[in-house]
Amino acid sequence: MKKTSEKSSIFTKLNDTSLLLIITIVIFFAMYIGAIIFQGGGFTKPQMLFNILNANAALIITSVGLSIVMITGGIDISVGGVVALVSMCCAVYLDKMGGSIIGSIFIALGIGLLYGLVQGFLVAYLDIQPFIVSLAGMFFARGMTTIVNTAPFNVENAEFVALKDTRIIVPGMGSYTRKGIYVPAYVEIGVIVALVIVLLLFVVLRWTKLGRSFYAVGGNKQSALMLGINVKRTKFLSHLICSVLAGIAGYVYFLHVGSGSASHAMGMEMNAIASSIIGGTMLTGGVGNLIGTLFGVLSLCTIQTIVASAGLDDAWWTGITIAAMLCIFLIIQSVVMVQKQKALKG
Amino acid sequence: MKTVANLAMVLLLSVALIAGCGSSSAQKDSGDSGSSLESKEAGKLITVGFSQLGAESDWRSANTISMQSAFVPEEGYNLIYKNGQQKQVNQITAIRTFIQQEVDYIVLAPVTESGWDSVLGEARDAGIPVILVDRRVDVADKTLYSCWVGSDFELEGRKMAAWIDSYTKRIGLDASELHIVNIQGTIGSTAQIGRTRGLANAARENGWDLMAEVSGDFTETKGREVMAGLLKRFDNINIVYCENDNEAIGAIDAIEAAGKKVGSNIRKGEIMVVSFDGVNKEALDYAKEGKISCIAECNPLHGPRVRALVDMLVEGETPDKFNYVDERLFSSIPDVTEVKVDGVSYPVQGIDE
Amino acid sequence: MKNQNTLKKIVSNQLFIPAIALIVLTLINLVNDPGFFRITLVTNNAGNPMLSGSLITILDFGSELGILAIGMTLVTAASGGQDISVGATIAIAGSAMLRVLCGGVARPETIAAPIFVAFLVACLVGMACGLFNGTLVAVFKIQPMIATLILFTAGRSIAAWINHNELPIVPDPKFSYFGGVIPGIPIPTTVFIVIGCIIVIALILKFTNLGLYTQAVGINEKSARLNGINPTAIKILSFVILGLCVAVAALIKVSRLSTINYSVIAKDIEMDAILAVALGGNALSGGKFNMWASILGAYVIQYLTTTLYKFDVQSDALAAYKAVVVIILVVFSAPTVREGCSKFFKRLAPAGKEAA
Repeated sequence: MKKTSEKSSIFTKLNDTSLLLIITIVIFFAMYIGAIIFQGGGFTKPQMLFNILNANAALIITSVGLSIVMITGGIDISVGGVVALVSMCCAVYLDKMGGSIIGSIFIALGIGLLYGLVQGFLVAYLDIQPFIVSLAGMFFARGMTTIVNTAPFNVENAEFVALKDTRIIVPGMGSYTRKGIYVPAYVEIGVIVALVIVLLLFVVLRWTKLGRSFYAVGGNKQSALMLGINVKRTKFLSHLICSVLAGIAGYVYFLHVGSGSASHAMGMEMNAIASSIIGGTMLTGGVGNLIGTLFGVLSLCTIQTIVASAGLDDAWWTGITIAAMLCIFLIIQSVVMVQKQKALKG
Repeated sequence: MKTVANLAMVLLLSVALIAGCGSSSAQKDSGDSGSSLESKEAGKLITVGFSQLGAESDWRSANTISMQSAFVPEEGYNLIYKNGQQKQVNQITAIRTFIQQEVDYIVLAPVTESGWDSVLGEARDAGIPVILVDRRVDVADKTLYSCWVGSDFELEGRKMAAWIDSYTKRIGLDASELHIVNIQGTIGSTAQIGRTRGLANAARENGWDLMAEVSGDFTETKGREVMAGLLKRFDNINIVYCENDNEAIGAIDAIEAAGKKVGSNIRKGEIMVVSFDGVNKEALDYAKEGKISCIAECNPLHGPRVRALVDMLVEGETPDKFNYVDERLFSSIPDVTEVKVDGVSYPVQGIDE
Repeated sequence: MKNQNTLKKIVSNQLFIPAIALIVLTLINLVNDPGFFRITLVTNNAGNPMLSGSLITILDFGSELGILAIGMTLVTAASGGQDISVGATIAIAGSAMLRVLCGGVARPETIAAPIFVAFLVACLVGMACGLFNGTLVAVFKIQPMIATLILFTAGRSIAAWINHNELPIVPDPKFSYFGGVIPGIPIPTTVFIVIGCIIVIALILKFTNLGLYTQAVGINEKSARLNGINPTAIKILSFVILGLCVAVAALIKVSRLSTINYSVIAKDIEMDAILAVALGGNALSGGKFNMWASILGAYVIQYLTTTLYKFDVQSDALAAYKAVVVIILVVFSAPTVREGCSKFFKRLAPAGKEAA
């Protein structure tokens, strides 16, 4: 008896952000441990987790950007397109125009910045629905990618390939192959970039005035206005950050795949939205946590890996599992909101 | 209250992270005993990871099914199949997963030729032999893979060119009267390179008018779109060389939609379509009707061949590096019964079987 | 002054934007190639007469979009959001139709069930998808675009699963009539299907309160409820109607090929359908709608697509051009810009008078 009352008191004390975050983290660990128990083999090795991180560093970065936009009550579905456009432009610049690494990084940031300025302006200052703006942005990015170059190709610039194959050894972790060779666990540069971004923006969101204004605008525009927050500027900034992050993610993605293709990052926007939602960001705005988003991405990708390792034809099954997860989390959110409203009324 | 919750959250997070790291490092120690236990449990089942590049054409599907039915548990194999959805990055991820899962052999049907060095190096470090299927890879160190099974695409192209040559000679067309367009496959794939080279060389040697080479990406939709564009650009096309059946079906659609007739009667203004693969049922039906004049088979049934190679590797033998599968030429036109390439003659078969 | 009033009336009419777009596109085509408007009678593969020409192509291939625009307009009006899963649900409904027609066999000799029954199943499946989306939106109060994201993600996978990832081919030539021509009638059948759908929706709007209720819910849910309208039911109903439209569109899509390609069928059609609603001058945030402007919008988009093809734009690059069109449209329909423009014109008008 006592235990349940204690439990309920914990639940009422926790705010939405923490509650949703805890659900996400618990689910991630449950899933990973489940995978270790039921599938064994690869999941017991640390490199399996690092491979997931390596392959999805770009998704982590875009999801973080999306979470910020969603916290302010907006949405941006152009991120996947921007990633594809950035990787194609950088690939063409490096491979066909003989460009330098520094130059390609500036291209990536430039595309992100440009996207952020235009989309942010249209959404914040012209009051156009973010979905429509970023829908057009996605169309434009995808179309431009094919206009820049149609056929996919691998970049063979030696400097770039060296950077792409750079591995950062994780100390103290590794595994023995059947030949008895010790292979240390490693991550790619993109993972470090992604983790730094997550931590940095987590701090910004939690402990700065700007960060709090994102929550305030997403939570209640009216009261945000009364608090003296510049709503338009805040919205503009959220889109700017998101698009710049998409630009960075584009470069990280490019660094991982090392090629330009019009079909790169297809559907990444949907995975990013799903990750944010699973990570506890509320679509209605005002609620969200970037650590949660990180775990959202990890949960999503772990599910994909589990499905793939199970030998199912992943092309079809991942779609269904992600959708099912998304559905469950959306309903949880909806229920939480209803409960909260009831509590407020009561 | 909020700060308390936050603190609790951060605490939980750090504990979780530490637990996560701890558990994985703990697992590492038990890793060795775990894997030996596994191999004991698995007994004689040989695990093969198969990274297929996609499911873009009927040829590919037939190839996948052939592999799946060759490696079945009843015969002592466990096949893990992964569809790369036409992306190299997916295939690399798949191979890395195979390595972590410690499969016994990796079969790879690569989507492109370049960019495989590092991941194949990882597979070698892990002691897993790699068998390539269909397309090849362009790696500096050829020992990164054990062997390759597939078709001689250039030979297919040359056989087709030889067929075009003898057929058009038979109906009395001069070489300069041949206006050919080539609807290519996905640029950079081994099949595209070989088949394009086969045609281009023959065109140069025979003095054919090869008007355009455009990629149709091995798909029906692209084939239709490209052909419609070509018909607008040129009004004298009389031979369409499609680098797979799906493109041919799309191209025939486009030709008919433009109000022209497909067939082998070039003298009467018909447009002759030739294609490759011979797997697609619809394409074979088209060939029976005479809409596709000639099909160079590209045998997708690699499964048994790959299984034989795996068995050789299990026995510790060293198989040949390059293994070609036998392929035929189909045509409903009885005029040409055999073609010669490099002095070797290849029979042309009817389409009834 | 009177002139100005009529001008204002014309400009403020919802059909104004699509009509202007139509005229602009027509002018571009006239200048580029007058042959664009030529219609000829040709014989198709099966030996049946059919009309051919760019205009016919627009009418023919704009059909699915026109039908979807009907449902999408209602969903937009009622829920203030859009359904992005229509492409995926077309795949599901089409797959279900094929499953019934071919009886789960990839290359059947004869059809396993009458076409009508298969279509009925597709309708039920489409409506079920609509019900699912509608429930998430109306009952769980999830934003429509996010709620439909679920089926958007899973739809094509479910479609593949229904037929065990096979691509069955319908053996009956009659089935291809829906997306082609009926022997003896040179006009594409799809045109008749669209006309049928338009008549049905026109009758519904005229003789029921559906239109009124939908707008009431879209404008203000609370006051609609106070007036005795059930917003939940209306929203779900709008999604179910869209599901029906999806089923009809699936019939046409599948009939065109007599088979299905799960990952490609009706790809990006949701974007075009939303664009059609926006082009028709309907507020994407819900409320008042004009069905005919949406349908006209759908054909304008097909017109644009066909025109772009005429200019040898690659199918993959089409999106970039459409994006520019969307941005121009939404910028000019944005309230802030409109206010700015009207202020600008007001300032311009007295200046003009003084000058005169």
